[in-house]
Amino acid sequence: MIQEDVVCSFCGCLCDDIRVETNDEGIVKAKGACRLGSSKILGHGPGHGRISKPMIRQDGELVEVEYQVAYDRAARILKAAKRPLLYGWASTVCEAHEEGVLLAEEVGAVIDSTATVCHGPSVIGVEEKGLAGATLGQVKNRADLILFWGCNPAEAHPRHMRRYSSNSTGRFTPEGRKGRTVIVIDVRETRTARLADRFIRIDPGTDYQVISALRLILAGKAEILGDEVCGISKGKLVDLVDILKKARFGAIFFGLGLTHSRGRYKNIDCALSLTAELNAHTKFMIMPMRGHYNVAGIGQVMAWEGGYPMSVDYSRGAPYFNPGETAACDLLARREADAALIIAADPASNFPRSIVEALAEIPVIQIDPYENPTTLLADVVIPCAIAGVEVEGTAYRMDGLPLRMRKVIEPVHPSDEEILKEIRESARRLPDDH
Amino acid sequence: MIIKGGVVYDPANGVLGEEMDICIDAGAVAEAAGGPTIDARGMLVLPGGVDAHSHIAGPKLNAGRIMRPDDGRIGTEPRRGLCRPCTGYTVPNSSAIGYRYARMGYTTVFEAATPIIESRHTHEELEAIPILDKGALTLFGSNWTVMECVGEKDLPKLSAYVAWGLRASRGYGVKIVNPGGGEAWGFGSNVKGLHDPVPEFNVTPAEIIHELARANERLCLPHSIHLHFNNLGKPGNYSTAIETLDLLKDIVPSRDRQAVHVTHMQFSAYGGTGWRDFESKAPEIADYYNKNDHATMDMGQIIFGSATTMTADGPLEYANARLLHQKWSNHDIELEESSGVVPLVYIRGSPVNAVQWAIGLELALLTEDPWKVLLTTDNPNGGPFVKYPEVIALLMSHKRREEEMAKLPELLSKRSVIGSIERELGWGEIAVMTRAAPAHVLGLKEKGHLGVGADGDVSIYEIDPREVDPGSDPALVERAFTQAKYTIKAGEVVSRDGEIAGIPQGRTFWTDANVPEEDMARLMASLKEKFEKYYSIQMSNYMVQEAYLSRPVAVRAGVEVAQ
Amino acid sequence: MRTITLRPLASHLVPIEAEGLTPDGLAKLSIEEMEALDLWLGNRRTRLCELFAIEVDGKPAPIEETTVILDGDFSRVKRIGERMSGGMIQSLGDLGMHAGAGMSGGNILIKGSAGDWLGREMRGGSIEVEGDAGNYVGSGYRGERCGMRGGSILVRGNAGVFLGEHICGGSIHVSGNAGDYPGAANGGGTISIGGDTHLPGAEMTKGSISVGGRTTVLPGFQFQDEVELEGLTYQRYVGDLVENGKGELLLALAQQSA
Repeated sequence: MIQEDVVCSFCGCLCDDIRVETNDEGIVKAKGACRLGSSKILGHGPGHGRISKPMIRQDGELVEVEYQVAYDRAARILKAAKRPLLYGWASTVCEAHEEGVLLAEEVGAVIDSTATVCHGPSVIGVEEKGLAGATLGQVKNRADLILFWGCNPAEAHPRHMRRYSSNSTGRFTPEGRKGRTVIVIDVRETRTARLADRFIRIDPGTDYQVISALRLILAGKAEILGDEVCGISKGKLVDLVDILKKARFGAIFFGLGLTHSRGRYKNIDCALSLTAELNAHTKFMIMPMRGHYNVAGIGQVMAWEGGYPMSVDYSRGAPYFNPGETAACDLLARREADAALIIAADPASNFPRSIVEALAEIPVIQIDPYENPTTLLADVVIPCAIAGVEVEGTAYRMDGLPLRMRKVIEPVHPSDEEILKEIRESARRLPDDH
Repeated sequence: MIIKGGVVYDPANGVLGEEMDICIDAGAVAEAAGGPTIDARGMLVLPGGVDAHSHIAGPKLNAGRIMRPDDGRIGTEPRRGLCRPCTGYTVPNSSAIGYRYARMGYTTVFEAATPIIESRHTHEELEAIPILDKGALTLFGSNWTVMECVGEKDLPKLSAYVAWGLRASRGYGVKIVNPGGGEAWGFGSNVKGLHDPVPEFNVTPAEIIHELARANERLCLPHSIHLHFNNLGKPGNYSTAIETLDLLKDIVPSRDRQAVHVTHMQFSAYGGTGWRDFESKAPEIADYYNKNDHATMDMGQIIFGSATTMTADGPLEYANARLLHQKWSNHDIELEESSGVVPLVYIRGSPVNAVQWAIGLELALLTEDPWKVLLTTDNPNGGPFVKYPEVIALLMSHKRREEEMAKLPELLSKRSVIGSIERELGWGEIAVMTRAAPAHVLGLKEKGHLGVGADGDVSIYEIDPREVDPGSDPALVERAFTQAKYTIKAGEVVSRDGEIAGIPQGRTFWTDANVPEEDMARLMASLKEKFEKYYSIQMSNYMVQEAYLSRPVAVRAGVEVAQ
Repeated sequence: MRTITLRPLASHLVPIEAEGLTPDGLAKLSIEEMEALDLWLGNRRTRLCELFAIEVDGKPAPIEETTVILDGDFSRVKRIGERMSGGMIQSLGDLGMHAGAGMSGGNILIKGSAGDWLGREMRGGSIEVEGDAGNYVGSGYRGERCGMRGGSILVRGNAGVFLGEHICGGSIHVSGNAGDYPGAANGGGTISIGGDTHLPGAEMTKGSISVGGRTTVLPGFQFQDEVELEGLTYQRYVGDLVENGKGELLLALAQQSA
């Protein structure tokens, strides 16, 4: 069977034009997807490290059990904890996120997403300045200037440039790449940089000063700058501002190179101001390059459910938000968390070593279709269907545009949403010890 | 359920302060009913409140929440009883929106603006709002297909697109915001007036408005076009308001209602040439409404204190952000719209804010017929909806207004006429502005009244209108309206003395309009091309799927209904 | 005079939230009432006496005449002294996050080190730390435009990053080094740093920041002149001009490096 217009569940591009071919064996082709997307879509069967049965750790070994046993064990762990952490969420659908918030309310947990280790600083920047954004179709149809800052879509978001940005075509951009100026600012010459019209290399950790200098030039105050700013000649920066101002529609995309270099959210804060100020001259927008396909979705769900997009502490019954205090890494680094539920993420691979060690010291519940390094330190392992391949539901693209993920094949395992609901119901049946 | 012995105001049925029983059976008002009895003796009984224009769900709300954790922490309430935790004041979380409206006696609220392509998000948030019945108005004013149909003077095709767009967004009615301006803002400019052509499209805002109004009536939609004027928020814009209203005099409504609803009129009743000589032109607008019957409006009253402005009027928000040196979020939407979000504070000491405050009240007090003026704050643009009781007190009490004016700059008396208005609205008029009129303006036949067959939505307030003189005791009025004694939704008590007592899942109204097949076929050809060339998603992934509306109510409309 | 001494009964990794522990909250209470006060240990509502031993010396007294002594490790106890209006808190060891947040009067003396958000949004009173302080000393809450508005904070050791972010008034002095971005968006406060720091005064519009040690100056600061202050020569800059700022940045000449 062939299914058209399937939405890819790999990265924040959410390409929705994938042609998926299935037979009795499962998915055999994913036409139109990039290599990253097709490995995700095709990687559903056994032999791709799928977990087949729920497991519980007994005497150091993971032992297979029935689902209900795993649910009850998970519920007891969470209910007994004084500071449980519910972490992950980037690779599942919003219906599961809503259940996650309900579970956090039920057990008084801190709920946080993988944004905390990717675009969390971007969110804090937005709290300072707001974000001048647009849907990707605006870029496709209008942008004649594209600036990639600290990101490398050619490798991390392979179809971004073709579908939405530098190489796309649209109503006012019929020439595609030819009609556009593409600029890359980064600390190293990436593949994206090699595809650009202009590459500006900056020293690591100097993004803030460089953006500040651009803002000063834009405001007509170039004269107060010295001949160089952090190793870049003033002339080069003046030229750059000139190019930005002359654009009819400029789009700035930024990645972890900006959010996780020295300065963190201040870099974003300053870039957001630059974008706002450019709008006094021409049209400009700015967008974070979100990684996992629905990391934007968990932010949206948490915002309407509890008022804040990440790092929310429900321990006192009311949402409390303060990254730096209530983010997953904060809790683990300070050894505050005394239990964790990890869903749709693999912190054992992505967190710094000391934080993984903290995770290893506490009871961990893992909900995931696949075995991964987090499985090695989990005490309860609950296999789930793959959201976006075996389960339908909502996901939000990097620009905030929501799409409905399709169910392409029938799942064997329950969905994340069903699992979370069962754990919550089991937790509700347990007596309150406080 | 029987609500016994209350003092009932049901202006749609000519009931003004009669002591009578209201029976609710199977969720609707009935001749007789069994079940529990509520003793409402000595209390004011009204139909459940209806808000026809409020920003309660969708991308703009979340943008506001995300950029304003400072607002989030203000309204924090822990999980308690049936209630999930709440946060926020001007941008509350979805749970808080439902509980707080219900506590005030409101049971139906319409989201004022949803872009078609992001309506899935709007519906996800609407579904997350407990208790209330709701609907969403769909944005059409800067839409490429709309502008092309207008340019081609192809009314049948435009009507087909409106019908299709309502279905795609599961929207209820046609919202038009700064028509053409959203497209111009796509390249950073704006349209300057009604007859300024939209760049690249060669149609004018006047043509967009007029043709959408014709399409609206051709489709016999339950609601009229719902219009946010061009030049909104700018000194001197009252002339644009009157010019636009004149433009719509020839529109013949297809149903028993207005031809146009003008939203948050306060922001469009400005005189002066700039902020220095800024003044109220509410008397001119009210005078126009007193002489003409084709339009309704809502107030868009401002409330002193914190607000979060959010609108599809992108260029307006950029101007606000620059003027006030505030945080600025913007979100332009391919082929369809622009939008922006800016937090701000209305300050008593500011002459401009004081005049804005006066204008909203003047509109309501100088327009003779309360059926033409709905009570809103354009939540949360003028201030949060939880302040409606304050607006009611101001409208019902000259004394309350004088107390407020004493705190405002003296200049106010030169720039507005608020001080000279002695009119005090009565209970019946407030019932019209908060119940009967919004339901009628929206075309919701089962809302806003208590006749047999109406939805069993009732609010009961602990105040006896026969005993209390609102003019001299505005504080009692404000207190009573802040917390209903009972709020009843479809025959179920959902709030009692401020405690949430029931959390039913509300319904979502949308309009299902039929058009002739040949019109739809022509439309499809041009839409297909747009998806192939311009949209960043596939047509098959565009429409809001049924899964997003757990309790949909499809209101039938369409060309056949009209004929 | 009344002195109330609290000693932890056990050490906890899970944080305790104790915003009621202020002279305002304790001045008038009997020992039994204090024991029954609500605190939070993670997600558990618990009573003060379950976590701390209480010793009271003196009868109920006015707030100004009440001293709270914290004897032991309070580094996991958050929000002590929040919104206090008078009296005195002495922490003999370390103190956790948000100490003195929103306080309007009185004194907090910390003999050990302080956690993050010390004196967040404080309005008045004074805080003195003999050890180090964490991040966001005297800053605002997320998304707020205004942090500390009045009072004074003295840190004798080092301070973390984002010292005095969005400070609008009052003064902060750090004897040692401060982390990155001290005084960001300063809207009228006074910050002095004895040691080194990085990129002070980003987007500041008013107020003043002085740095005794080495630092890096942002592009938006313009050199004005040299001034003598308390026997030291400072280079005076004005900025941050990205925000048309009129803030003052003073760099001790002898130690200044470009």
